[in-house]
Amino acid sequence: MGKPTVAFFDFACCEGCQIEMTNLGDEAFLELLNHIDIVEFREAMSETTKEPIDIALIEGSFTREADRARLEDIRRRAKVVIAYGQCATTGGINALKNHQKDYKEFVYGHAAGMPHLASDSARPISSVIKVDYNAFGCPVSKYEVLQIISHLVHGKEPVIPDYPVCMECKRRETVCRYHEGDHCLGQVARAGCGAPCPASGIPCEACRGFVSDPNLASLKKVLREEGGLSERRAETKALMFTANETAGRPA
Amino acid sequence: MNAYFISAHDFKPFITRLIEARRVIGPVAKRNRFTFERVTRAEDLRLDYDVTILPPKKIFFPPVQDLVHFEGERYAGCIEAEPQVLLGVHFYDVKAIDMTDQLFREKFADPNYLAAREATTVVASNVQRVSDAAFWGSIGADVAPKGHDAFLTMIETGYVFETRTPKGAALLEFGRFRIAEKSEVAAADRVNAEILEKCPERIDHPAEAVAKRLWEVFGDEALWEKLAEDCFSCGSCNVICPTCYCFDVQDRWNLDQKSGARARSWDACLTQDFAQVSLGAGATENFRESRGERFRHRFMRKGAYLNKKLGGPACVGCGRCSQACTADIASPPKVINKIMGAAR
Repeated sequence: MGKPTVAFFDFACCEGCQIEMTNLGDEAFLELLNHIDIVEFREAMSETTKEPIDIALIEGSFTREADRARLEDIRRRAKVVIAYGQCATTGGINALKNHQKDYKEFVYGHAAGMPHLASDSARPISSVIKVDYNAFGCPVSKYEVLQIISHLVHGKEPVIPDYPVCMECKRRETVCRYHEGDHCLGQVARAGCGAPCPASGIPCEACRGFVSDPNLASLKKVLREEGGLSERRAETKALMFTANETAGRPA
Repeated sequence: MNAYFISAHDFKPFITRLIEARRVIGPVAKRNRFTFERVTRAEDLRLDYDVTILPPKKIFFPPVQDLVHFEGERYAGCIEAEPQVLLGVHFYDVKAIDMTDQLFREKFADPNYLAAREATTVVASNVQRVSDAAFWGSIGADVAPKGHDAFLTMIETGYVFETRTPKGAALLEFGRFRIAEKSEVAAADRVNAEILEKCPERIDHPAEAVAKRLWEVFGDEALWEKLAEDCFSCGSCNVICPTCYCFDVQDRWNLDQKSGARARSWDACLTQDFAQVSLGAGATENFRESRGERFRHRFMRKGAYLNKKLGGPACVGCGRCSQACTADIASPPKVINKIMGAAR
């Protein structure tokens, strides 16, 4: 691909996944700039572009019909589209609102009626345009993103894990949360993060979403019987990052 | 083979001197479990462990390992083979090491595994505490462990140290050993025989009968789907298994986009996409698509496919899979006893 042009775009999100790239630090980031040409990156530069681009990293979920034209324009201009971060890949944490009615009043109180808060259900970018690759995670794994970009630079197919976090816990010999009387979503959560949370004694929340064939019936059973969660908790536990997958996608 | 004795009093100084002289890997505590790690202080060594999370295969076949480093057109294999002592391996894990030795040696010999294996002195030790999932007392009884260089058994007055190879005998110089009395060797034999009866779990059928039965029920799709109903396809039962040895190979680029590594990491046949292969032109096929098929494959591998080659089942009864499976469906004693009783 030579020295590809790369642009970051954002929709409904916190832009934390853009910030995560800057967390690579000066040395790594400046070296990266020798190999890619970043032409739009709102969290790090003022310039924008209307030109064709090689790689578009689209952050955030689709929550407004008015955003459709902009997404379609990016798709037309980009050779490769990467859904960047969990909001973009599955709807992520934004999708929690798809199954709530009073969230605006709850969060914004008397300001709930402000016009800029009006939005539709949160959906993945792939519900509007064709997505070539997914960079999962809340936030993305900056190291994984580097590998995805490197593979594209070299004309190779990026490999995105489709096995559960349990594999990564075992590879680093982490004591299973269930063996310390805790619960965890690692059995159904998509790996690729390196499983840092269980290694620090924190249950996996599936912030990269689920593997493509999660056994959710078994998960509820295990959360209840082994994790000690109540029936309702076991039902809602997996919702945080995967509301569109557990409770059904909005039509 | 010669048998030596070291008193309980002299044992800790022996370990201390060994640690000073060699790189020593042994069982240590990790939260409420145990793992094999580099031991830097004698008091960290926990020969009273029940079972480790990962088997000692990780010492010869690390979970993630660079195979080749490249830069531009140049490349070089990276084989690490630092001399080391792997201390405190239970007999069931020694059996598993014998199996991976054979599997990594045949056909395309694995230079990374073999280099690490040859650089390592394996000292087995008797099981002092039995894991609550162990069933090594009732599987592969006629398969003797043989890949170790020495065997350490705690008896009342100290430790009997039986050397099997010159590598094992080379450790004698680090401790105040003397030739063991016949009674001390007999006491060690008794300790190792008695513990076999202490497993909380057991498989009530000989390996040949289990293998025969597995072939009989191979086509019983409903049985396997039922057994695998709660399976997460998480692969935990595979990767913690001392006789599983599958790996995936991927490339990794460094930031400079010129150099990088070709690395392997443990793979697992229970995961959903393990058997997904390319048909060319972007098309793929998964030849073990259902949970039942993948679940069956593990039991066939452990109980039937490799028996002839290995001289017994490819399962040593450590019970790690039973413990690692959060859905509690992986336990070989439970599954095998169920299958043996399934309607014909």
